[in-house]
Amino acid sequence: MKEPRPDIDSSPTLGRRDLLKTWGPAALAGAAITALGAGLGGRPGRHQRRDSAAGQPPPDWRIDPSSPGRVAIAGGEGPRANLGRALAAMGGIDRFISRGDRVAVKPNCAWDRTAEQAANTDPELIGELVRLCLAAGAGSVVVLDNTCHDPARAFARSGIAEATRAAGGAVAHQNSTGTVKLDLGGVVLGEWEVLQPIVEADKLINVPVVKHHSLGRGTLGMKNWMGAIVGGRPGLHQRINQACAELGDAFRPTLTVIDATRVLTGGGPTGGSLDLVRPDDLVAVATDPVAADTWGATLLDFSPAELPYLAIAERLGLGTTDWQSVATKV
Amino acid sequence: MNFRPRARHLRIVVQTLFLVSFMILFVGLAVERVPGRVASILLSLDPLTAVGTALADWTIPAWTWIGLVILAATAVLGRFFCGWICPLGTLQQLVSWIAGPERRKRNKINRYRRWFSLKYVILTVILVWAALGADHAGWLDPIPLLHRAVASGVRPLWFGGITPGGWVAFGMLAAILLLSAWMPRFYCRAICPLGALLGVTARLAPLRIRRTGTNACSGCTLCLMACQGADEPLDNHRVSECHVCLNCLPSCAEDSLKFGLPVVGSGSSTPPLDVGRRRFLVTAVATAAIAPVLRATGGGEARTADAIRPPGALDESSFLARCITCGACSASCPTNVIVSDIGTTGVEGFFTPILKMRRGWCEPSCTRCGDVCPTGALTVVTPEAKQAVGGPAEVTIGTAFLDRGRCLPWGMATPCIVCEEMCPTSPKAIWLEPAEVRARDGRTVKVQQPFVDPELCTGCGLCENRCPVGEKAAIRVSSVGESRDPGNRMLSRRSEVGRSEDST
Repeated sequence: MKEPRPDIDSSPTLGRRDLLKTWGPAALAGAAITALGAGLGGRPGRHQRRDSAAGQPPPDWRIDPSSPGRVAIAGGEGPRANLGRALAAMGGIDRFISRGDRVAVKPNCAWDRTAEQAANTDPELIGELVRLCLAAGAGSVVVLDNTCHDPARAFARSGIAEATRAAGGAVAHQNSTGTVKLDLGGVVLGEWEVLQPIVEADKLINVPVVKHHSLGRGTLGMKNWMGAIVGGRPGLHQRINQACAELGDAFRPTLTVIDATRVLTGGGPTGGSLDLVRPDDLVAVATDPVAADTWGATLLDFSPAELPYLAIAERLGLGTTDWQSVATKV
Repeated sequence: MNFRPRARHLRIVVQTLFLVSFMILFVGLAVERVPGRVASILLSLDPLTAVGTALADWTIPAWTWIGLVILAATAVLGRFFCGWICPLGTLQQLVSWIAGPERRKRNKINRYRRWFSLKYVILTVILVWAALGADHAGWLDPIPLLHRAVASGVRPLWFGGITPGGWVAFGMLAAILLLSAWMPRFYCRAICPLGALLGVTARLAPLRIRRTGTNACSGCTLCLMACQGADEPLDNHRVSECHVCLNCLPSCAEDSLKFGLPVVGSGSSTPPLDVGRRRFLVTAVATAAIAPVLRATGGGEARTADAIRPPGALDESSFLARCITCGACSASCPTNVIVSDIGTTGVEGFFTPILKMRRGWCEPSCTRCGDVCPTGALTVVTPEAKQAVGGPAEVTIGTAFLDRGRCLPWGMATPCIVCEEMCPTSPKAIWLEPAEVRARDGRTVKVQQPFVDPELCTGCGLCENRCPVGEKAAIRVSSVGESRDPGNRMLSRRSEVGRSEDST
């Protein structure tokens, strides 16, 4: 038998339990509200100004940044053989691609145009480059561009998708892959979304086509990096020369391969008429992107002074406009 | 006649003090000598401001933490804010005191009605919407509502002229006061989301109106005569509705009501809120479904040429998460350029501030709107940041564009240089080029034609304000180029002048 506890029942004063029941909820609510205020008070808020999340600078994809760059030019035997000979003169593909590398290849594949119209990089050249990279032991090769026309059409019509897949590579574009925000630096660039496979690549190869451009007069390697970034690109055309040089400063590729298999001499950058296409059958492989673009400019009969971005790029220390001093013809 | 001081007399003094200070502080919004946060402190007292921004933006900005102190006190004392502080409540009480129902009908009109629970549904909508990132508490929250009605509905009678947003804001206040002549504190009882928030919190309060166990209730309903909240102290007292006005205490014929702790032995119970779990869930889900549709009507990311926000405004989605549409910015503006919007910025932008340059302009040396903003939807900026002196300004609100068909020197062969003359930046964002144009009669007229430098233009709108071309200026500001939204721009990047290496 339990004895009743006299201190709980029938007491005329407020018991401990009554006190808790009366004041407990208020005390708990007060504590919760105080904690909320202390935790959130003066926080900047979850909706940050968009420019506050700073991007990283881009990586450097060059294999030997300290030694001076070179250019090797080959011609007359079609894109496959031209590429092979020029690469051999540069020390062979094995010098640039290591076993297991993730390789990103950036052609100009901006337009819904055929290879013959010469608005895009030659598909045969891209296919051969993919094959060589894989033969050198690359783990994966992605051919990618942020196209101006519809990406599926541009990759199909240009023949680049087919050539890439036939050689064992993969295709990516702005609608099929994500982006990473990078701080590209410079005066006009700043932060941009960059196609993710480029940011993740161990090696990066730029494969522009030599062609006329209505705004920049000529479009070559540095202008080709416009296809690596995603966002309000048309705004960059206000200061195209500064923007091109800064793109060249931000993206330091392992190799620049200049495609002059067909040169679009007018109506660029889109072209269209076959009358404007000149079959030069030349390919240059370079580790100096400024010299490579300067050589390409000569094919369009431009002196370096007529493409002001070359001088800006030289000032930024990206290479030399005196292309003859670093070039070999093979 | 003998006067016995009672608790409600103290309440009337406190109510009067807060109503008068609301009026003084409101005028103080426009007086630069009064610190901005002090002028808007009544808005910081409002607990719903803090709770709304905490949900929408995970922050309790500036002085709004004071509202949490009020909320915590409500968990002890009940809805004293409604009965003692809220100036809109006081105004309603005044109206019903002067023009309300006659005394013998009041015990009927002051009964509780089930539809008073509408306010809890409204609170649910507001809190769910806030959790989804848009704080619209201010539309119905009485403190912003009253500020807005006076700022954009009453003040423009003297300054600047009333706008559609002002008419609607004033109409809401007028309707609330008129309805309180029919039923005392109708708005507090049925609509007010702040009252609902405080009501839910007040259910925890240990201090409340209680029946003493000793004296019985005779059912005389005298306590209902002067009851503000319709909380029925004679029955099962509804603490969530009670405004703690304390009018019932001296009215009880049996003297059996007190404000305090529970009486030992009296098993009084509080009736539940008339919002079932199902109604709460349906409301929450429906709000979550409709909110994105309303954002699609033009709020958030959408950019509108005429949606020119005050300087220092956060980017649009952050702005909508913070702005309580109180109109403190428009009341503080020395040129009356800021109006409560209706129609320009979508449904979510109802009552948010935009600038109408035909009314005024954004004075380059003035930063008052950011100083008084209670939630930081407008950040505090320095005058230097707004001024383009020796280069582009850090804070811009838009860009001026010339309409050459309307411009006198461009379209009418008539000399005019007003916009260039007015332009306050240094060097001037507007410059003139001499030109000789042929008039209709063959004369050659020498004019100076204006151009705008978009890098230097801050969007202040002084040019648009002073343009002599009638009802629609020949130079007009649109929102592109505003510094708050990096996406709403046309220039690739505002560069520091002189750093450019571009030779073309």
